[in-house]
Amino acid sequence: MATKRKVAKKRSKPARRRSASPKVAARHAVSVATSPRYSVRERTAAAAETPLAVCESDKDMQAMLAVLRNTDEPVKVRLAALQSLQAASFSVLAFEACRGDYIATLRKVADDPDPELRQRVLGLLAREKDGYAQRKLLEGLHDPAKALLPPEKALQLLSYDVHADAYAAARAIVKKPPNEMARREALRLLAADATAAPMFEKLMRDKNELREIRQISASALSALKPERLQKSAREILLDKSDYDDIKATSLTALTQLGDEQALAKDKALLTSVNRFRSGKTSAKYKQTARRFLDKYDRQE
Amino acid sequence: MDVELQVNNSAAADARFLTWAPSPCRIRVTNPSGVTGPTVDVRIASVSAASGGELVFRLATTGAFASSLTVSVPINGTSVPFFAAGRFGRPSVANGDVRIEARMGTTLVGSLPVMVRIRKNANTLTTAERDRFVAAFARLNNQGLGRFADFRNMHTNVSSPQAHGAAGFLPWHRAYLLDLERELQAIDPGVALPYWRFDRPAPNLFQLEFLGVADALGTVQFSNANPLQFWRTDGVQGINRRPLFNTGSAPPGLRSEAQTLALGTQYRLFRTMEGNPHGSAHTSFGGSISSIGTAAKDPLFFLLHCNVDRLWAKWQRQNGRFDPALAASYDGAANPIGHNLPDSMWPWNGVTGNPRPPTAPGGALAASACVSAPGPQPVVRSQLDFQGVVSAASRMGFDYDDVAF
Repeated sequence: MATKRKVAKKRSKPARRRSASPKVAARHAVSVATSPRYSVRERTAAAAETPLAVCESDKDMQAMLAVLRNTDEPVKVRLAALQSLQAASFSVLAFEACRGDYIATLRKVADDPDPELRQRVLGLLAREKDGYAQRKLLEGLHDPAKALLPPEKALQLLSYDVHADAYAAARAIVKKPPNEMARREALRLLAADATAAPMFEKLMRDKNELREIRQISASALSALKPERLQKSAREILLDKSDYDDIKATSLTALTQLGDEQALAKDKALLTSVNRFRSGKTSAKYKQTARRFLDKYDRQE
Repeated sequence: MDVELQVNNSAAADARFLTWAPSPCRIRVTNPSGVTGPTVDVRIASVSAASGGELVFRLATTGAFASSLTVSVPINGTSVPFFAAGRFGRPSVANGDVRIEARMGTTLVGSLPVMVRIRKNANTLTTAERDRFVAAFARLNNQGLGRFADFRNMHTNVSSPQAHGAAGFLPWHRAYLLDLERELQAIDPGVALPYWRFDRPAPNLFQLEFLGVADALGTVQFSNANPLQFWRTDGVQGINRRPLFNTGSAPPGLRSEAQTLALGTQYRLFRTMEGNPHGSAHTSFGGSISSIGTAAKDPLFFLLHCNVDRLWAKWQRQNGRFDPALAASYDGAANPIGHNLPDSMWPWNGVTGNPRPPTAPGGALAASACVSAPGPQPVVRSQLDFQGVVSAASRMGFDYDDVAF
């Protein structure tokens, strides 16, 4: 009798693991992000996966808030938790139930020892037009010993909800700037103040001013007093001794926003712009002249 | 002999824009001199400028496209329909850089400049495309006094439940982008909204000549030649945006395109991308774009969302999810108002008062000379079939450079 040959059974492949659904993966990520058993690197990487879980589970949400509040946690992990909570906040409906706790935690962290956390949290609160944050920022501008952020950052954040108190603080800083950046931010904030138009006109025309300040002033004037911007821009373009960068800003302003009828008839200005275009300036600036002439110089 | 060519069934210049999806066209004889017989054979083809768009044609509503088409046109002026589309992978770079030409034998009898107008990767725009887009956007803003104020006011904390956290997140933002894009096209018809592909480095985007370079404080700087230097929202000048990553690289921690597309073949799984990569892209910055209530103050918001929409479009193409009647195309679970398929969408519906927001800025959704969809008061359902796959009438007149028809 022939021996039956044994035929090796084919081994079945191991059952393929189903990859976790996004929800399950997110819940697991929360457990990693909030556990000190994992490394900082593992926790920050996991935090990026958590927004979904944080939205849908109050327990997960509270766990992430606890990490954010805890000054004993590594700053990187706390920042990652903050970013995750922020991302979750974009899923508004699901986040709504926990928004109160979120804002309360942000306020607690507003005077955190870590400057980056303070800045990020105060930024979030300022964008929510949070009165607590606004008071803290203004307090710091009036009394540097209480400042939670540098004055330039405080001014930038106050610009999210400009009102009279912020204008007063900004004017004081323009008068006596602690540094150039603070002066710049104060001017940006004042660009919403209609009474500041004469100041901006003066700054725009001042050849001794920094390029950036003149640019901010041109922009402010374009909104506050467009006819004054047109006048100042024209004078700058006619002035052979003024700088190319402010001429380029002036040309850009006039091309975008100028009085078309008046500019098309202004022969002196057109001649001056033609000279600028053919002169020794950068290709980029020459292009601003070309765009202006394409629009206004019908004779060309 | 002369012929008249129409694109999108219109002789108007502002209808001469095509995408990858076929546009209905017409040809008719306007001057039959030199022709005998009741009909004449006319060959229709496209001629492109260097680096310009390219077209393909077909006679019927279905079937293969070809580089040229021969149609038999009555000399009595009756028009003959045909279809034209952009050849996938060959979008225009400027308005009119491709022409539809009609020839009788070797004689040119009709010619029409058109544009294959496609939403592109912002990082790879030509200088001219970039500058046109930036100029149009700055004009829409008009130092805070322009129509852009309405778009800013459509995306606030108060209105956010209309657009976030439920199934309608993607359709709402699709309509929002389309409305804005059409307003930009009213300023410069050659402009299409570009996208920020946030899972890849986009160093060209964060330049002084484009969306600006943030200083250490997060104040965005622009070149003196960039009209965005005059950007203003809520009465306040400038843009606050502080990248929390090196803008020469992609932000860390975001789901890649492949990971996003692999979230699932059901819409209810795919839409979890609202958290990551969408929310994570927003929060890769400090500044306006990182909070819902202020995000739309930053022009980058619209390029970010254009990529979110592109991902949805790609997912739809990959999985055949254009038909709202297909359960997998949408999340049919009970949704809040504004998120169900038959729901009209705020603010275009003009409805105010609880459960809708107290005001409805902006009015009806902008019209297009090229297409009739989605209409002035779109419903959620209308946002799915953007290419007119299920019904040609649903085509909305936009396409992405890497999502074919």
